[in-house]
Amino acid sequence: MTIAEQKPPAVLIDQASKWYGQVIGINEVSLAIDGGVTGILGPNGAGKSTLFKMMMGRIKPNQGSVRLFGVDPWTNTSPYRRVGYVSESEKLYEWMTALDFVTTLARLHGMTREEATDRSKHVLEFVGLTDVMHKELGKYSKGMRQRVKIAHALVHDPDLIVLDEPLHGCDPIARTSIMSVIRELGRQGKTVLVSSHILEEIERITEQIVILHNGRLLAIGNLHAIRDMLDKHPHRILINCEDPRSMAGLFVSQDPVFGVRFPSEGQLEIQTNDLSAAHSLLPSIVVSSNQKITSIENPDDNLESLLGYLIREAS
Amino acid sequence: MDKQGRDLAETVWTRLDRKAGAIIELTVRQLRHRLSTWVVLGVGIMLMALLLIFYVDSVRESFEPIDNDGDSVDEDGDGYPRGQEEKYGTSDYFWNGASEYPGSSAYVPESYIDANDQVRTIYENKSWEGAAFFEATWIDYNYSGEQWDSHINWRPDDNGEPQLTDCSDWDLDRVLNRISWGEACDMGDGDEDGRNTYYAAGKWRGEGTNTVLEGGFLQWGYWTEEFYVAPDPKEMYINEDGIDCIDLDGQIGDCPSEDRLSGSHGFDDDGDCLAAAERGEFVDENGNGILCDVIWRTSNGVVIGITADYNVDEDLDEQEYTGELGHRMFVIAVGKMAFVILLGLFIPLFLSLGLVRDETENGTLHLLLSKPINRSEFIAYRLMGYLAVSGTYVIALALLVGIVASVLGPGDSIIRLSDLPVWLGIGIATTLVLAAYGSLFNTLGLISPKYGVYICILFGIWEFTMGSFSIVNPNWTVSSVSVSHWALQMIDAVVLMAWPDTIQWSAIDEAFGIYSGLSFFWQPPVHTLGTQSAAVSLLISTVVLLLFTFSFVFVGKSVFNRREIM
Repeated sequence: MTIAEQKPPAVLIDQASKWYGQVIGINEVSLAIDGGVTGILGPNGAGKSTLFKMMMGRIKPNQGSVRLFGVDPWTNTSPYRRVGYVSESEKLYEWMTALDFVTTLARLHGMTREEATDRSKHVLEFVGLTDVMHKELGKYSKGMRQRVKIAHALVHDPDLIVLDEPLHGCDPIARTSIMSVIRELGRQGKTVLVSSHILEEIERITEQIVILHNGRLLAIGNLHAIRDMLDKHPHRILINCEDPRSMAGLFVSQDPVFGVRFPSEGQLEIQTNDLSAAHSLLPSIVVSSNQKITSIENPDDNLESLLGYLIREAS
Repeated sequence: MDKQGRDLAETVWTRLDRKAGAIIELTVRQLRHRLSTWVVLGVGIMLMALLLIFYVDSVRESFEPIDNDGDSVDEDGDGYPRGQEEKYGTSDYFWNGASEYPGSSAYVPESYIDANDQVRTIYENKSWEGAAFFEATWIDYNYSGEQWDSHINWRPDDNGEPQLTDCSDWDLDRVLNRISWGEACDMGDGDEDGRNTYYAAGKWRGEGTNTVLEGGFLQWGYWTEEFYVAPDPKEMYINEDGIDCIDLDGQIGDCPSEDRLSGSHGFDDDGDCLAAAERGEFVDENGNGILCDVIWRTSNGVVIGITADYNVDEDLDEQEYTGELGHRMFVIAVGKMAFVILLGLFIPLFLSLGLVRDETENGTLHLLLSKPINRSEFIAYRLMGYLAVSGTYVIALALLVGIVASVLGPGDSIIRLSDLPVWLGIGIATTLVLAAYGSLFNTLGLISPKYGVYICILFGIWEFTMGSFSIVNPNWTVSSVSVSHWALQMIDAVVLMAWPDTIQWSAIDEAFGIYSGLSFFWQPPVHTLGTQSAAVSLLISTVVLLLFTFSFVFVGKSVFNRREIM
């Protein structure tokens, strides 16, 4: 097979930039994604939605190019036959029932009314809304609304699914349910892009991540690899306990720990170069200390710290 | 199956159909869920109901028989209506003497002696008027008249001798100075022939010799015999002279006549024009040399003007004419003012401005545009959805109002079927207006989501003004730079196609002073490329409106395709 005959990837972004006046939304991002679940991670304002809107032909890149299955989505709507998009917008047709809503949008794929209804029932079952599919959307909870949005994006059995902050504002139960839906899609071999500004959410869904920051692509790859890199970097573990000093005595002799601090009363800060190793020590030390532990925190194990680390690495 | 193995039911076109169906249905359902839709459509129904109430009221009034020429009155109160008095040549006015009535005695002047005559003496038994020396054989003492009529009072005594001032020894100057008009004096029997001579000035009746002074004047004549004429009932002079058309065989028939259009028509049923002709009055106002007739002028087979001689066909039957004219006027006026100008403007203003704009503002556009449907298609389908609601509404409303008016309207049949094509035409013309304004307003809403509505209102004012001008004068070029002008032209054309005799009715309306308003609200279509054909005008107007609609769909599409949706 020659290169020309090769199947184009689901998403191919080449040196794409988008700016609004003086503000840069996306800055020379290049990306090729095909298959599996990919998390697009970045804090608010990083350019995740702008990237998705560019992919969905809503906005046109000022520079570079965007291709879905090899086609420019700004000039041609044909890729949407294979794409399901869940936008960040919360607005739905409140007066419609979920079945009505998904059926109506399914018909825009050229399905007959019967086909659309059958498919809609199927996807509503897939997202777990069969029981309430005859209820008006105006009466739906936030999590149910997100699931309806996912259902409409899946109704035509797309190859690429783009979900912009699908977990935003959902309660833990809805969150778990949506996550399992996304994982299931990945298992089915679809290409799924999920954006989030919460590391933990993405971590529970996928290992393949793209990190955006200030419109730039900061990192791309396996989350574990990144985390391993991160683990090799000094980390802190904060333990709230009755007697931090005696607890510190148990830690200092251990290999991964290179320092301890007492930031405030009743609090012990352990400094380590190998977070995983330090964490594996924790249970036995806690048991042997015979103290009451109120909390254990990893203040560096969040997106901001990760970004800070990556930015420092990059510079 | 096609080459690619797809079933016929699965071609690109059927998929397009389904997408169109889905967007149209969605649009219809969205409009159905908006309060403003129900308000504007409800107001339209109320407006039509109100107009129908006015129609019912006017239909009842206009069918009352009206005395158009005012000849059923009896102003002098002598029991004879003016029409009858006119036929007999008597006056119906007090100031000409209430004694005049049909059959009353009339004075017929026979001859006179004036300053130029050589022979200045005459012997006759006559009614005299003037000044003369009257040697009387016989005097009619009962010859009298009104207070200011100058009849001489002879004041006879018991023996029948006049008791007048004795002027036998007066000189001539004194006689002329002292005896005023309406008086006489006794000059005695100077020639002793047994007959006294009187100087008489005024009116008198008698037999004898009259000698008129040099430069004086005396005329004489006689009074006709009085005869009885039965007074006509005044109803006879209401609707007594309808419009008559003469067919090719010379028979009087109904107007407008399809048999023979141009030429001399009309018949003076009540005879008032013919009576005037007999009296020698001028009764050929239309100047065709035929007395008491009506000229119908035609151009290309349609009547373009009617000119009647005075008092011919001047008191027509309202049931027959005003009813029909008023009905047509109602249909056309409602079609033009209420449907095209009012509903045509307000429905799009409420329903089409936000067709795409609102989806953007509501944030629901993402849902629709993430489907394989391009933006041009989307605009077109949205407009179709809007037209499905508004077009169905105006066509249904037009037919509903049409059916009610057709049942109430004049005519022998239960329903006037010939009205329905006109109402359908009104509905379709309004639908094209809705399409034209809809595409324009939707585009303006896209170009300027914030100020589009103000531009639409300004445009609406322009359209309203130009529409009104187009009704008054469709030939005015400036007014053709408006959507409403072309829709009004469509109505004019449809009216002419459904009721080909409307030009004649309009001419009748003006010529016979019915003033129903038909000739104000309707004029023959003007854009016929010189063919005078209503069908050509209808076609041109339809094409112009469709072109306008498609142009603005295209502009809207171009704007929308370049728009980034945040």
